[in-house]
Amino acid sequence: MSVSTAPETDREASTRELISPDIPWELIVWNDPVNLMSYVSYVFQSYFGYSEAKAAKLMLQVHTEGKSAVAHGAKEKMEAHAVAMHGFGLWATVVKGGPRG
Amino acid sequence: MAKAFSAGRRGITGFLEPAERDLLRKLFSDIITMLEPATPAHEDPLAALIGLDMDVRVPTDPALLRLLPDALTGDADSALEFRQLTERSLRESKIGALRAASLGLDSEKLVLDSEGAKLWAMALNDVRLVLAERLAIRTAEDAERIHEVQDWGDADDVESYLSLVYNFVSWLQESLVQAMLVELQRTK
Repeated sequence: MSVSTAPETDREASTRELISPDIPWELIVWNDPVNLMSYVSYVFQSYFGYSEAKAAKLMLQVHTEGKSAVAHGAKEKMEAHAVAMHGFGLWATVVKGGPRG
Repeated sequence: MAKAFSAGRRGITGFLEPAERDLLRKLFSDIITMLEPATPAHEDPLAALIGLDMDVRVPTDPALLRLLPDALTGDADSALEFRQLTERSLRESKIGALRAASLGLDSEKLVLDSEGAKLWAMALNDVRLVLAERLAIRTAEDAERIHEVQDWGDADDVESYLSLVYNFVSWLQESLVQAMLVELQRTK
């Protein structure tokens, strides 16, 4: 870690938060050996309104990579999504997203 | 033997034998008992209104924890605070789905609209999550091993019996979700 550059980074970070309080948060859905692939796909289509193709892509990402960021947005919205996912029996967590683009 | 669910003009229909309905009724009831909060609704009316429950702790039963997992990782305090705000209503919505599914068992033929089918799929999923925890299904290999137990003649201990029940509920849920996906495409 470099002492001389650290304060500069901090200032940038705090400015970024001031300008953009709604830095995207992410909803992560985690893989497990129980939930059926068809059910996960159904949840992504019916709850998020995703197309069959997008739901399948996200579902396969969960299955093969162990997790997938299935939604991005304000923290409160991601938290509501997480509770909804838990209602369906999928395990989801809310994390602060990195810079996107 | 149960018939696979199918999507038709009147909604999603399925057929279950009386013994299968008794089994599902018992499973739904067991999960409802697990999910009922240990403490009565908070006496503070505002807290009751927003569902805030300061007595909530992280479940010690791993099966219950799987039904009510943490929504935030890496920060136990924030996770607990979030749980205090949301867990009671999550328990209530799960109990609602299990009760709705249980009511549907009063007749041998099931006819479900899309909302009813969703509640059924959620209820079956929660049953599977709890059975999977009891059967220690942690990996795809575990799931495969349990899936191989198919002969009711082999149900000579608790694990093989639970495996057969798990496989039956999995088959039923898969059949239901396939019908739901057909209906979802139809209504798009």
